[in-house]
Amino acid sequence: MNRRHFLGQSLASAGLLAGCASSAPINISKAQVVVIGGGYGGATAAKYIRMFSNNTAQVTLIEPNADFISCPMSNLVIGGSRTMAEITSPYENLSKRHGVKLIKDMVESIDQKQKTVKLVSGSTIKYDKLVVSPGVNLMMDQIKGLAEANQAGVTIQAWKAGPETVALHQQLAAMRDGGVYAISIPEAPFRCPPGPYERACQVASYFKKNKPKSKVLIFDANADIVSKAGLFRKAWATLYPGMIEYHPKFNVVAVDAKTKTLKFEVQDDVKADVLNILPLMRAGDIAVKSGIANANGRWVQVNFLNFEATAAKDIHVLGDSIQVAPLMPKSGHMANSHAKVAAAAIVAELGGLEVNSAPVLTNTCYSFVDATQVVHVASVHQYNAEEKTFKTVPGSGGLSPEPTTLEGIYAWGWAKNIWADSLA
Amino acid sequence: MPLIHFQQLMKFSAINLSLLGLILITSPSFAQTSANNMNNRSLAATCANCHGTNGEVVPNSGMPDIGQLSKDEMLTKLMAYKSGAQPGTIMPQLAKGYTDEQLNTIASVLGKK
Repeated sequence: MNRRHFLGQSLASAGLLAGCASSAPINISKAQVVVIGGGYGGATAAKYIRMFSNNTAQVTLIEPNADFISCPMSNLVIGGSRTMAEITSPYENLSKRHGVKLIKDMVESIDQKQKTVKLVSGSTIKYDKLVVSPGVNLMMDQIKGLAEANQAGVTIQAWKAGPETVALHQQLAAMRDGGVYAISIPEAPFRCPPGPYERACQVASYFKKNKPKSKVLIFDANADIVSKAGLFRKAWATLYPGMIEYHPKFNVVAVDAKTKTLKFEVQDDVKADVLNILPLMRAGDIAVKSGIANANGRWVQVNFLNFEATAAKDIHVLGDSIQVAPLMPKSGHMANSHAKVAAAAIVAELGGLEVNSAPVLTNTCYSFVDATQVVHVASVHQYNAEEKTFKTVPGSGGLSPEPTTLEGIYAWGWAKNIWADSLA
Repeated sequence: MPLIHFQQLMKFSAINLSLLGLILITSPSFAQTSANNMNNRSLAATCANCHGTNGEVVPNSGMPDIGQLSKDEMLTKLMAYKSGAQPGTIMPQLAKGYTDEQLNTIASVLGKK
């Protein structure tokens, strides 16, 4: 490419050769961007598409919940050291401060040919670009009896923060001292890799203070702790000696709601008082229903430069729903990072600019080992053009050496700032 | 085309675009956004998860307020984290994941003007 060619392209693409900004090849102020899902991915994408387009692109966010309830930090509500109000944020700042149109609804279907989405309420919305960020779906049908047991409140997932978060804390509060809490963990990948182990810490922290004769049983379908293994093992041994039992390679296949019994693929049955059963996970319903989940029918493969689904043009998928790159966790922080890369790419494509060829993602996951002490895992992911994926940078990232209260302050600070970065 | 030439051209074209933008458009609009500018903002946005959108930290959130640092102060700090000269919890690990050029860009975007 010579200089004249390059400049000519740039000027033409910005609509300036014609002497009028409104005559750009694609008029971004008329572009309709529809975002499905107001979690860490979708809310951030809505806000940053507005910001990166200098508030010109029209952005509509479709989300069924009235407020944003954070999954990160929700284990503290289960353990009783924080309240639901403290992990809840409003959506209204996205419209007030950033001009995002909010629709409280769910998407029934996507018409890729007509480029429209149909809402459950019946109306249809046209899009030029669609962002799909529906989180995970819990595959209840993979464990016999689980759907019914969870519906009846006999088992709890509380993996999507909300009413079940409160219900789990209430069940722990109602349990007798000397009772048993059991959590089962599905085969990876699942949302929030350190989450189940942090939850075990929070339940144990609550027991230690309130019901010290009680037990925490962890049944993990994986061969070992999936994230921060050494740090969790040490925290369990030092903070909760004799209280937490960890069982690897225990795969739950059935639940008997009447007797509160777990059945495993290999091992003997186990009874517990409070059952926190997490089944296998896959991309959110709308992604699977619309046929874009082309990795084992469970996750959505994307082009990592713009997060466009490989199976569908102009549909960009973020967060937990995607088939991840190596060492990329399904976390809120990562979904927020995806959203910013996708937002810049979407704005570039709509505005006729070149899409960034070297995007960067970061991840930070803080885990509370009790009510105040925290450990982290962090990583930086640079785009690798040869392999067309994100790769962590050798020598970067890592873990905390030990739990500290300083990181406890940073963890809560992280939460407040990422909530604001995504929603305010 | 060698990278350096490309970058010089990007800079050249960005200046031309912004000059033309000033002449032709009175209010900020999308036409004034160059790809380079947006890519830089997007890179700096990797800090926003912890330190606030555009480096504006949530008040009293317990997070360091990087918005108070000049470009030079911020770059010095980031490079010290990267080299290991400056201890910390997460920042030494994260800073090592960026190239020097990327850290310079971040400091340029987020440093106090």
